[in-house]
This record gives sequence, structure tokens and C-alpha cells, in this order.
Amino acid sequence: MTVEYLLFCLVAVPFFGSLFLPVLGKINERLRNIAALALMLCSLGMSCALLQVIASDQNVVFTMGGVTLFYADKLAIFMALVSQSLGSIIILYSFGYIKNYEHRNEYYFMVVLFLAAMMGLIFSSNLLWIYFFWEITAIVCWRLIGFFREKEYVLRADKAFFITVFGALMMLCGFLMIYSRTGTFDMQEIKAWCAINGSIPDLAVMFILFGILSKSATLPLHTWLADAGVAPSPVTALLHAAVLVKIGVYVFARLFVATFTINEIWHEVVPWIAAASAIVSACAALVENDIKRIVAYSTVSQLAFILLGLATGNNTGIVGGLLYILMHGIAKAGLFLCAGVVEHETHNKDIRKMGGLIKTMPITAVSFALCAFSVMGIPPFGGFFSKYMVITGTIDSGQIAVGLTFVAGAFLTLAYLLRAFARVFLGVSRAADDGHGLPREGSPVMVFSVALLAALSLLSGVLIQPSFQFAQSAVQQMLSR
Amino acid sequence: MSTENLMLFAIIIPIVAAVITLVVVRKNSMAAGGVTIAASFVNLFLAYRIYGTETSVSVPWAGWFFEFTLRNYQFSSFILISVAIFGALLSVYNAIFLKEKANGWLFHAYFLLTIGFVNGVVFADNLILLLFFWEGLLGIMFGMIYLGGANAYRTSIKAAIIAGVTDLCMMFGIGTAIYLAKTATISDMKVSMEGLGGLAFVLLVIGAISKAGAMPFHTWIPDAASDAPMPFMSFFPGALEKLLGIYLLVRITLDIFELDGMSWGSTMLMIIGALTIVLAVAMALIQKDYKRLLSYHAISQVGYMILGIGTCTPVGIVGGLFHMINNTLYKCCLFLTGGSMERQAGTTDLKKIGGLKSQMPLTFIIFIIAAASISGVPPFNGFFSKEMVYDGALERGTIFYLAAVLGSVMTAASFLKLGHAAYVDKRGDVSKVKEAPAAMLVPGMILAALCLFFGLGNVFPLREFIQPVLGARLEGHDFSGFHFNIVLVGGTVVALALAVINHFVGVKKTGNGLGAVDHVHYAPGLHQVYDAAEKRYFDPYNWAKNVGRVVAYIGWGIDRGIDFFFSKIIPFAAMGISAVIRSLHNGSHVTYLAWSLAGLALVIIACMTGRL
Repeated sequence: MTVEYLLFCLVAVPFFGSLFLPVLGKINERLRNIAALALMLCSLGMSCALLQVIASDQNVVFTMGGVTLFYADKLAIFMALVSQSLGSIIILYSFGYIKNYEHRNEYYFMVVLFLAAMMGLIFSSNLLWIYFFWEITAIVCWRLIGFFREKEYVLRADKAFFITVFGALMMLCGFLMIYSRTGTFDMQEIKAWCAINGSIPDLAVMFILFGILSKSATLPLHTWLADAGVAPSPVTALLHAAVLVKIGVYVFARLFVATFTINEIWHEVVPWIAAASAIVSACAALVENDIKRIVAYSTVSQLAFILLGLATGNNTGIVGGLLYILMHGIAKAGLFLCAGVVEHETHNKDIRKMGGLIKTMPITAVSFALCAFSVMGIPPFGGFFSKYMVITGTIDSGQIAVGLTFVAGAFLTLAYLLRAFARVFLGVSRAADDGHGLPREGSPVMVFSVALLAALSLLSGVLIQPSFQFAQSAVQQMLSR
Repeated sequence: MSTENLMLFAIIIPIVAAVITLVVVRKNSMAAGGVTIAASFVNLFLAYRIYGTETSVSVPWAGWFFEFTLRNYQFSSFILISVAIFGALLSVYNAIFLKEKANGWLFHAYFLLTIGFVNGVVFADNLILLLFFWEGLLGIMFGMIYLGGANAYRTSIKAAIIAGVTDLCMMFGIGTAIYLAKTATISDMKVSMEGLGGLAFVLLVIGAISKAGAMPFHTWIPDAASDAPMPFMSFFPGALEKLLGIYLLVRITLDIFELDGMSWGSTMLMIIGALTIVLAVAMALIQKDYKRLLSYHAISQVGYMILGIGTCTPVGIVGGLFHMINNTLYKCCLFLTGGSMERQAGTTDLKKIGGLKSQMPLTFIIFIIAAASISGVPPFNGFFSKEMVYDGALERGTIFYLAAVLGSVMTAASFLKLGHAAYVDKRGDVSKVKEAPAAMLVPGMILAALCLFFGLGNVFPLREFIQPVLGARLEGHDFSGFHFNIVLVGGTVVALALAVINHFVGVKKTGNGLGAVDHVHYAPGLHQVYDAAEKRYFDPYNWAKNVGRVVAYIGWGIDRGIDFFFSKIIPFAAMGISAVIRSLHNGSHVTYLAWSLAGLALVIIACMTGRL
């Protein structure tokens, strides 16, 4: 099998495979679970195989009937590996978490389809494919957020759907404007066009930015993300940390950094949008009392750091942004899964009613702390490197005021994560009087998943070299015209 | 073995030993203590081997400015060997102190991690690498304070937030300094204090003095004195943080920025130093708990170092550095006596217990030596370093000198009170209290002996360790030996005399040593200020917390406003429009006909005006 078909299978296997999961579920639950994990691992394996080729500066293109469908370069493979590894861990965690809830067949179908659509989006070589996969993820999310079917949850799912689809339609308008100007949807051709004709129209950039901000939950289109916290925990973890919100920033990197030439002004406007988003959402995280909402707002705030890094337009900042996608993905998935364990065991999401859980749930507590340290940017955790690079990228681009605003955002990050940690895990227990007795540690698979993510947060920092160097070479490839 | 490898081992061995303690030893505080003693002495041996060499080594790391560059030169090996000596002494002391504590093994593991990271900071010749190790200490510190008990977590959070915020400031400062200097190698860096460079300077200084525990980043230290395990106090605020903070401050002012005595940076440092001396010691004066009193002195003494370095005069800088090492000796020693009292007598609250002189005579002697040193009594080490700081301060401005002397009066007064209350006064039942075990006494004795040696034999530390740090900036001076400025010595004698007089007045008034400064504490005017300070009204951390709360609610309000727009206004508008349109589709033929006619009319008008 040639590498081109490998690229195709990487998307197609989980995409079509997901359709069979409900059928398998009718036969045997365990079989379906294993099949879901196998699909992800299979796709992950293919990415690793593809990495061998791409690491030697050779891009892979899949064409069918003369039309370029998929295109893989370093940026794409980086993003794919991050999403697939996290996706696999999250599916593993679901084994323990979802088994007591209804509609399990639908759950696994949706999650695998979601990850497959993500792969499709990452490797898309033209704008229409991006739009196509983008909308699939929106539909799947809508279903997953409203998974518990209660009226309020469905309303929130509708909200998320409306906001992201509104953004997507705006983005489609932007794509059409670009088409009317350049006569093509193919990104390589647009890149060539930009090299000759200069930057693309500002209005198109603005429209596309709407889509990106809505998907990446950035101010002012961010509030759906906190409401999405009602979904079953692995889904929120998936939605927030690994995949959904990173779609937006990935498309930003793909279009505005690697493909289009855009007006200089955007390199100043987008950081300020990101700065506002970082501060407002961090403030909200400091006030909220629902553990999942806190972690969700923290995601909004950290996404602003990623967007900032990518928007600085210089080497340092973009490397930082890419590393941030990786480090934040690992750590935030860990935080969500820990929150999931806590919610699952205490039947409670309000941090004011928790406390002292470190005594009965030590592994979860320590994992939460380690992941939180990574998000705060404390060495030797991975988050330190990405945060440093993003901040330095801002200084390099001369935007000192933006940089200082983000340092203030980082203060708030420290404050709200430590507050949440202290309220949930430290001090005296306030949970004993609800009749359930003292909560115990979660199921072995769940605890294993969170401990794995915590260990990865630490290892990604201690062994920074490979990811750092790959991010650097990816950025070099992106910026080469 | 080459020095390069020794340097790497000095970082790796303690960390590996810590991992072994965490993973293999687990839950056995005795065995963990053994591992810690072994690793600490290996570290001491390595430091001894490294001492006096000059070399640098670069190990491939992540690329870009992230270079794992280590450099050993005179200053770093001086700090290295100091840390190694304290580490070895404290490892013995801690092994005994913690042997029955359930969480002792964790403390030992954190202790070893700390040594590894500190060695990393000291060797790092790359600013980012330095930040990596520096900020990495935060998590360890959090864990160490947390082990103090049920309520210690509040203090550990406070410490982590203060350290985290200042470390982030430093991160930005480092980014700016590298951007300006176009290199991350400290030994090649030269940054001017103009414009952005000034910002970088301030941010880096914030990082350094916050680690050293200067105002206004100090308020977690007294809280830690109440909550954190005792060995933490002697190790972190007592010894390490001063060494690290002052080390970095000197690197910043001498190497990176080449601070000039005429610059605003110098004045800023001197003001911070003077304020820290006076305000912290004023708080120390009224404390009635052994550990809390010492913790305020741990803050106050930093003021002398910052003041000395801030003067930018050779005598001031040498004095500041000499004071750093002297302070570490006597402060660590004092904390050890406090720890012995806590372990043997069960409390450090002076209102509950006193008169330990006959029960713990050796501890008492150690205390006297260390207290005399910190009070600046000749011929102990503190006297010599303070004289140098006075000299530098007097050169730059009388006000700074007076602040420093005022600090000395109060320091001496508070130690007279402490010694009197803890060891002489008769209070509580002390009949069952026994002298501390030998393993806890010996480290204290060694430190006390060093206090005396560094005073009488100040030629050795000054010529061997400190003066070479300044290099050309020393301008050929030699401050070792005994050459006295009659004005300064006179000032010191007057200060000590005032402290003694104050003590006798106080004791006469209240009849015991504990109340020796009550006449100051409850003086009209001061009384209210002290009450407010004890209620933490002046705690910048609390101020920041309150400001942060207000800001958070504003941000949250904005967020809710945006959410209101999406969840209420948009659906309301959609429903409204839909209701209007629905009301027009009411099934009446007349309405539909009217609409059709209106539409037709529009079409006709459009056609007639030629717009279509």
C-alpha cells in the first residue's frame, strides 16, 4: 500500500468504521467498545507510519479522479497525532464512565465519527472539505452535548449548535469570497495565488475569523462552551481539550499562517481579541462554582494563549502555539477526566460542597494537581515551554502591552486552578452528609486514564526535545513560501 | 571524572535519589531519611570536587534559545558548596526530626528534589534553563508546606500564588531580556536599563527578591512558620531562598545589567531594602511565638542584603553577599533551635512554656551564639557584614543608614526578649523536657561554630568566597580583617545599648522577659497599627486578593452579559420576528390578497423607476 492510500485510510477507516459500531453493540457491548478503541488505534498507527515519511520533508497528497482530496504536511500530522492519542485515551476512559448510562451505541458511534471527521478536516486539501467536516463535527457535538436528553441540556446543545453553525456559515461566505477572487478552493493553488497577488480581502478574513472564533470558543462567541459542560464527562473532555476547540485554532494556523497572506493589521487585532478572551474567561473561572464550568472557562482562557501564539506571526509564537495545542490538550483532558471521576463518585459538581477528597481519592487528586501545574505553566511540566514560547513570541513581535495582559491572564490561571484544587481536594470534607458516604477512587480504567495523562504532562516537559523540534520544523515548513 | 560530568551528576543524583524515595522506599520515613543523608553527602562531595574549577558544558536540549548550558565559576561553586553543606547538616537533623512522622518520606523526597533543582539554578548559564529550575521549585515548595498538617494547605496555596505570580513576572522579564540581548547565555548578556530594558530589570528583580522573601512578597513566610513542617522553615526561608534570591539579584545587577550607583534601579533596591528591614523587624518585635518571631527576622535580614547590593558600592555589595552567607548560618541555626524546642517541649508558643535553660543547656548556648550573630554583636559574623552594609548605605544616603541601624536596635531587642522568654523566664511545666538528641544538636553546633569563625576569621570567607565574585568591580579593595570606622562602630554600640536599655525597662515594667517590648507594642498609636497588622490589614496578598475578586466579578459580569445576548436577546428577537410574521399569516384571504397587491405595487414601482 502506498503512502497516499495510507493517508486516505487514516480518515476513511474510522469514518466508515464508526457506522458499524451500533451494529456491533447490538451483538456484544464489549466487542463494540474494543472495536471503537481499535479504530482509533488503527488510525493512530497509520499516522505514525505517515510521520516517518513526512518527517523527511516529503508531503503526501491523495488525489482521486484528478481532484486533490487530502494533503498531509508536518502541521497536519502534528495535529492528527495529538487528537488521536488523546482520543484513544478518552475512549479508554469511557469504558468505565459510560457503562451506567443509556444510548451507549450512539455514544461510541458519535465519538468515533467525531474523531474521524476531525482527521478529515485536518488533512483536507481544499476549503470545501474543511467546511464539510467542520459541519459534521458540529452535528455530532450537538448530539453529544444533548446526550442526556433533558430539556435544559437539549437547549444548551441547541445553543452550541446555533453559534458554531452561524460561525461556519459566515466562514463559508468567506470561502466563497476567496473563490470569487482566486477561482479555486484548493489551498495550494490559493497559496500560489497569494504569492503573486498579495493578501486576500480583509472582509473574507473577518468572515473566516467568525467561524474560527465560534469553534474555538473565543470571546464573544465563547459562552456555549461552558454550557456544554453538561454533557457526559468524557465528551466534554473530548470536546474541549482534544478536538473540537482545537479545530478553530488549527484552521487558523492552516489558513492564516500556512496558506493565505493576510493584512498586517490582523496580527495586531487578533492578539487583542485573544487578550480580552483570556481575561474575561479567566475571571469567570474564578467566580464559577461548578467544577466542569471552571475547567471549561479555563479552556477558553488557554485557547486565547494558543490563538495569540499563532497570531503573532513570528516563528517563536507559532512554535509556542503548536506546543500549546499539545501540552494543553494533554493537561486539560486530564483535568476534565479528573473532574469526571469526582463527579461520578460524589454525584456532585459544586465545589463548595466538596473538600478533603485527597484522602480518599489520592491518585485522582495528584493527577489533577500535576495537570493543573502543566496548565499553569510550571516547569518541569510541558505547559511551561509552550507558555514561555507564546509570551516570548508576543515580545518578539513588539506587542508588550498584549504580553503583559497575558501575564495577568496567567496570574488568574494560577488563582482559579489552585482555588478549584483546594476546594475539591484539600481541607475538610463537606461531602459526607449527603448520604452517599465518603466517595471512593474511581474504577481502575478511569483512574489509569487520568494517571496516564498526568504522567504524560510531566513527561512531555521532561522530554521536551522531540516535540519541540518537530514543532519547529513544522513551523519552518509552514512559513516557507 | 571531568568537572562537566560532576556538574551534571550534581543535578541528576539528588533528583534520582528523590525518585527512588518516591517510588521504591515509599512510606518508610526512616529509610527515606537514610537515602537523603546518603544523597546529601554525595552531593557535598561533588560540590567539594567541583569547587574552585571553572568550566562550562552544553548538553543538547530543545534547540532555539533552550540550551542546556551549565557554567561553573567562583560564585556558583560558592553557592553550590553552601547549599551542599546546609543540605548535609539538615539531612541529618531532619532524619531524626521526621523519623516518626507518617509523611516524612515525602518530605525527604521533596528535600532531595530541591537540592537537585537548586544545583540546576546555580549552574544554569542559560536564562531559560535557570527559569526552568527556578520555577520548578514552586511545585516542590507547595508540596513541602502542604505536609505541615490539616490547615497548612491554605498557606501552601498562598505561597504558590505569590511565588507563581512573581515567577511569571520573571518569565516575562527573561523573555524581554533575551529579546534585547539577542542571546540567552547569562555570561554574554549585556542589557541597558533604558526603555524595555528597564521593564526587564524590574521584572527580574521582582523574581529575585520575591524568592529571597523581601517585602512586599513576604507575607506567606510568617504563615508558613505556623503551618509548615519545621525542617521546611530552616531549609527554605532560612537558608535556600536567601542564597538563591541574592545569587540571582547579584547576577542581575552585576552581570546582566551592570547596575550603576546613579541609576533609579539602585535607589529602588535601596528603598525596598530599607523598608523591608524596618517593617519586618517591627513585626518581629511583638511576636510571642518562637517560630513566627524568627520568620519575621528571615524577612527583615533580607533587607540588609538588598540594601547592600543596591548601594552599588564595592563595600555594600561585599557586605550584602557576606550578610547573605552569615544570615544563612545563624538563621538556619536559630530555626534548628526552634525545631528542637518544638520536638522536645511540644510547642513553640512562648506564652505556654519558658525557662528551658536548665533542661536544654546546649540548645541555649547555640541560641546565644546565633542570636548574638544576628544582632550584630562583635566579634560574631553578623557584626562584620552589617558594618559593611552600613558603610555602603552611609555613602549613598544617611536615611538608609539610619533605617539599617534602627533595624539593628529592634533586632537586638527582639532577641533579648526571645532568649529571656524561652530560656530564662519560669513558665509552664518544663520538668519533663529533655535536651535534644545529639544528631539534632550537632548541626546546630557546627553552624554556631561557623558563626564565630566567620566573624573572627572573616579573612577566609571574604577573600576565598566573596570578594572574587565582584572581580574588577572590587576596585582593588580588601575588606577582610578588622579595620573599623569609628563612626559606624559607635553607631552599632549605641544601637546595642539602646536595645539593652529597652529590654531592662520592659522587664522591669512587666516582670518577665516575654513582656520586654510590651511598652512598645501597646504604646498609644502603635497599638492600633500593630493590631491592624496582626489582623493582616496590611497584607498585600489580601489586597491583591480583594482587587482580584472585584476584577473577577467584572469579568464574569461581561461574560454573563454576552451569554444573556445569546441565550435571551437573540431567541427573543427571533421569536418576536416570527410572531409578527405569523400574525400576518392568519389564514384570512383578505390579508393575503392585501400582501399580494402590495407586492405587485412594489414590482410596478420598481419597473417604472427603472431600478429593476
